[in-house]
Amino acid sequence: MERVLVNIPSNPVFERVVRASADEVGQAIGLAPDRIEDLKLAVSEAVNNAIEHGNHSQATKLVEVVFLLDHEKLEVRIRDEGEGAERVDFGRRVVEEHNIETGMHRGFGMYLINALVDDCEVSSSQQGTVMTLRLYREGYHR
Amino acid sequence: MTNQVINREEFGDVAVLHITTTSVDAISAAAIEAACTDMRPITVLDFADVAFINSAGISALLKFVVSARKSGYKLFAMNVSPHHQKIFKMVEMSRFMPTIEERDLAAYR
Repeated sequence: MERVLVNIPSNPVFERVVRASADEVGQAIGLAPDRIEDLKLAVSEAVNNAIEHGNHSQATKLVEVVFLLDHEKLEVRIRDEGEGAERVDFGRRVVEEHNIETGMHRGFGMYLINALVDDCEVSSSQQGTVMTLRLYREGYHR
Repeated sequence: MTNQVINREEFGDVAVLHITTTSVDAISAAAIEAACTDMRPITVLDFADVAFINSAGISALLKFVVSARKSGYKLFAMNVSPHHQKIFKMVEMSRFMPTIEERDLAAYR
């Protein structure tokens, strides 16, 4: 198993660093271009979530991203240093008349993550939240 | 040019807002949505240079939807990549900002 570790401060500028890393890792393991785009978006959403909701944008708190590559899959673990999340809603969230009118324009991220990767899970404690995303290589279990 | 990330082109009732940043994300969102205060009856967002859009970027684009609806204007997207078309469809953004082809604008020039 190969492991790539990226640590960033909780500043959304550095989400772009993680996204660029996801691009490189996706290419390195031979994911199809559209799967790499899915990976980049899912990782971006998870990292922004860790920055904003986990670490409350406190720059001194880190977001740790680990890419784990093996023969069947790419696993990405995104860990924040927050106080844990009570629950995570992966439900389908779309643009609707009422959320346009109320100005409620956020909340698509978790739905997109869940829809774009092969599987994902969240574990949370008072030491922080870890989101794990998995994309399987062509021909392996999804 | 209205700001650093939008290059504005106008003809008749049409404004084409060429998004010049490659990432429509949390960093560029504020500058992009600032352009929604100056729309025309037909406003087109051009994504030709855009390589990445996330949910923070979608939130910024929704400001254009809100603004267009308040003014009774039409809003379109142009040069949307297949991946971004997929994402727009997933969140049903395409219902509120349908795509338009560049050739369809010729009639307004």
